[in-house]
Amino acid sequence: MEKKLNRRFIIALIITIVLFFVFFITALMLGRYPIKIDDFFKAVFTNDETVEVQRSIIGRLRLPRTIMAAMVGIGLSLSGLLYQETFKNKLVSPDLLGVSAGASTGAAIAIVLGLSSLFISVFAFISGVITVCVTLLIAKLFKNGSSTTLLLSGVIVGGLMSSILSFIKYFADPQTTLASITYWLMGSFEGATMNQAYILVGVIGICSVALIVLSFRIYLVSLGRQAAQTKGINYIFYRYLIIGIATLLTAISVCFCGTVSWIGLVIPHIVRLLVGHNTKRTIPLAITIGGSFMVITDVISRSFVDSEIPLSAVTGLFGTIIFVIILFVRRRDIYERQD
Amino acid sequence: MSVKINNLSFKYDKRLPELTLRDINLEIQDSSINVLLGLNGCGKTTLLKLLAGLEKPLVGSIYYGDSDLSNLTIKQRSKVFAYVPQHSYIVGDILVYDYLLFGTTNTLAFYKTPGEKEMEKVQLIAERLGITYLLDKKIGQVSGGERQIVFIACALVQESSIILLDEPTSALDIKNQNKVLSTLKEISKEGKTIILSSHNPNHALFLDSNVVLMNKGIISETGVAKDLITVDKLTSIYGDHVCYSDELGYREISFK
Repeated sequence: MEKKLNRRFIIALIITIVLFFVFFITALMLGRYPIKIDDFFKAVFTNDETVEVQRSIIGRLRLPRTIMAAMVGIGLSLSGLLYQETFKNKLVSPDLLGVSAGASTGAAIAIVLGLSSLFISVFAFISGVITVCVTLLIAKLFKNGSSTTLLLSGVIVGGLMSSILSFIKYFADPQTTLASITYWLMGSFEGATMNQAYILVGVIGICSVALIVLSFRIYLVSLGRQAAQTKGINYIFYRYLIIGIATLLTAISVCFCGTVSWIGLVIPHIVRLLVGHNTKRTIPLAITIGGSFMVITDVISRSFVDSEIPLSAVTGLFGTIIFVIILFVRRRDIYERQD
Repeated sequence: MSVKINNLSFKYDKRLPELTLRDINLEIQDSSINVLLGLNGCGKTTLLKLLAGLEKPLVGSIYYGDSDLSNLTIKQRSKVFAYVPQHSYIVGDILVYDYLLFGTTNTLAFYKTPGEKEMEKVQLIAERLGITYLLDKKIGQVSGGERQIVFIACALVQESSIILLDEPTSALDIKNQNKVLSTLKEISKEGKTIILSSHNPNHALFLDSNVVLMNKGIISETGVAKDLITVDKLTSIYGDHVCYSDELGYREISFK
């Protein structure tokens, strides 16, 4: 089984890496202005002036948003996987501790104040991180230390943030700011820049490497405090480290593109159904599958209609279909928790 | 090295007046088997958890040789004690092989994952306990008895000097109880110290072990099994339903 799973993992990893690059390059060619394959290679690898328009579309518009899509897909998939393993609960998603609700409120405040897109991202990021800190603080006040207390604190603080967001939306100008807030909340890569892409590549790249290095310990933490501590690792330290990395991944992902639902919940399930629970295998696959999924989602959101379809609408639709298919195919391998 | 527990007291909720464990003094000899006996709620599991470092004493100390265990790091402590809990939370999807590899954690630097050396160690111990046929199975697929042997194997992979087991034979049939206890006997002969809790006094007789009789959070008596497992001593703990038989050529404790 170990050998079988390892073989399956290596095959799945190679296939998904190849697919990731295929999707990535295809995403640069597809859109409302399709670029032919020979024009694409001319624009990328030569200085031919006849394809200047194509070169500009690829370099200025499609490259930054495709990089960002890939990074956000990786960030949200990894963070969903980390939360699900740490809290031993397969129904949680990256917004568990209120990071998405906090980021949304921060972004809405910035939009109401009429700030630029840079400040909307900064407000969203800071507000998302602060919200998680408040959640951890409230959980600490209960002096209980259990995962359930932390989950409940996340529900409380997330609920409070959603309520504040509702107030902001209620008082926002329906013609201008309300529309902007609603659009931000549904997620989009419109207005992506290379600078934003560099930030995402830096943060998500470092977090991904750290997670691959720590994958064995993350797997042990998923067994709970008793098992982890008696086998020699500081459970509390690693749990907070994992929560910190997951929060950073979610906050940096949603601050540039708005909230994107489903991906953080569905991709970890797909990955586990393919290669089992071992984080040595699930973390690398969450990177390749999460990145590919989001690149496809972005292409769909910008290719079929004149205005962009919100990301969450597309992820919800395709996430559900893929999830049902994989769940059906692998239904015999799903185990209940054994106590 | 021996383990020495000095004047140890403990309670789970500091607001409650009653102590879970009171003034525990105990010395555990190296390479010995020790069985904790007593009613439900007398503090057997709590004592094992305190030794494993999962709870901290309210007062008192635990020494391993000359070292106070409260001064050891989690990693150092895991080299002294391996713990096999009564109800182990295990995702059924985890492979037995992966689970055994967890036993090697305390020998690895934080950035390392188990390599050839660790895999070899797992293979050797699995062979020794006769569970190589389980390595490729998911924990959810193996029987209760096999699972206990897997947990004991994981404790051996951990290479700690002392193995703590909380009711390792609960919910097992007689054949599997025998298998688990025989395995423990063998391990002890190789120099490991075993401390286990049990609800069956016959287990202490079978293991020819030291016995720690516990009652309402205190240690009422300690000694060797053949001296302590008597109707009189057990009646003081379990009530007057205990009876004694040696018809089969060996002593057996039963109830009326």
